[in-house]
Amino acid sequence: MDLQYKMELNDGIARVTLAGSLDATNAGNFQEELKKLIGQKISKIVFMVKDLTYIASAGLRVMIFAKQRIGADVQVYLVGAQEAVLDVVKMSGLDTFMTIQKEFEG
Amino acid sequence: MPASTHPAKLENLNDMLGFILDYARELGFDDKKIGKIRLAMEEILVNIISYSYPQTTGSIDIACSPTEGDKAGITIEVKDLGIPFNMLDKADPDTTLPMEERQIGGLGIFFAKQIMDVLTYERSGEANILRLTKYA
Repeated sequence: MDLQYKMELNDGIARVTLAGSLDATNAGNFQEELKKLIGQKISKIVFMVKDLTYIASAGLRVMIFAKQRIGADVQVYLVGAQEAVLDVVKMSGLDTFMTIQKEFEG
Repeated sequence: MPASTHPAKLENLNDMLGFILDYARELGFDDKKIGKIRLAMEEILVNIISYSYPQTTGSIDIACSPTEGDKAGITIEVKDLGIPFNMLDKADPDTTLPMEERQIGGLGIFFAKQIMDVLTYERSGEANILRLTKYA
């Protein structure tokens, strides 16, 4: 139940691809990785999560952290979420504050 | 009634969850409910790991059983010998706040309360005992 992640930054759009499980055992490492985005000029953070099968509150906290530290005017996208992941995002109420898409449309 | 004891460390979290979920599968829970039980139990166990033993290292005892009474379900008893600590008392986070105003804590226990059908806490002697039930 590992986490795989990949990050690309292009034209102010940070695309973060996640696969596997984002939980308390790996959220810390992932957060360290996201810190690399602090101080860069970013308008959108796009979490590409079609292969993410599980997320816990520790994972959502990393997304909150990203928004809080990378910039209040950054738009957060959640793209391709499976039902299990989307249910958790909805339970947290964060779905109201993210742009949720099936495919990234910008 | 399966029972097991684990060191209260994050590196043992997946073992603990595996132990619980194997039993939930045996009781016939489907994948969707298994995913929800996993989330609730991760949040409960991570809280114990984070707060129950601030000065020492300790362990967590887990026992699973079919729910008593008329309704079928799983009851998971989680016991630690840490400081008196009732995580169920924690106030729910405000889920209407935008991301930039969110506090870091509280979301996990809120999830557990949303998912599990019955949650009780008891301080018994030196032990914190949580009993969590999810109906089938």
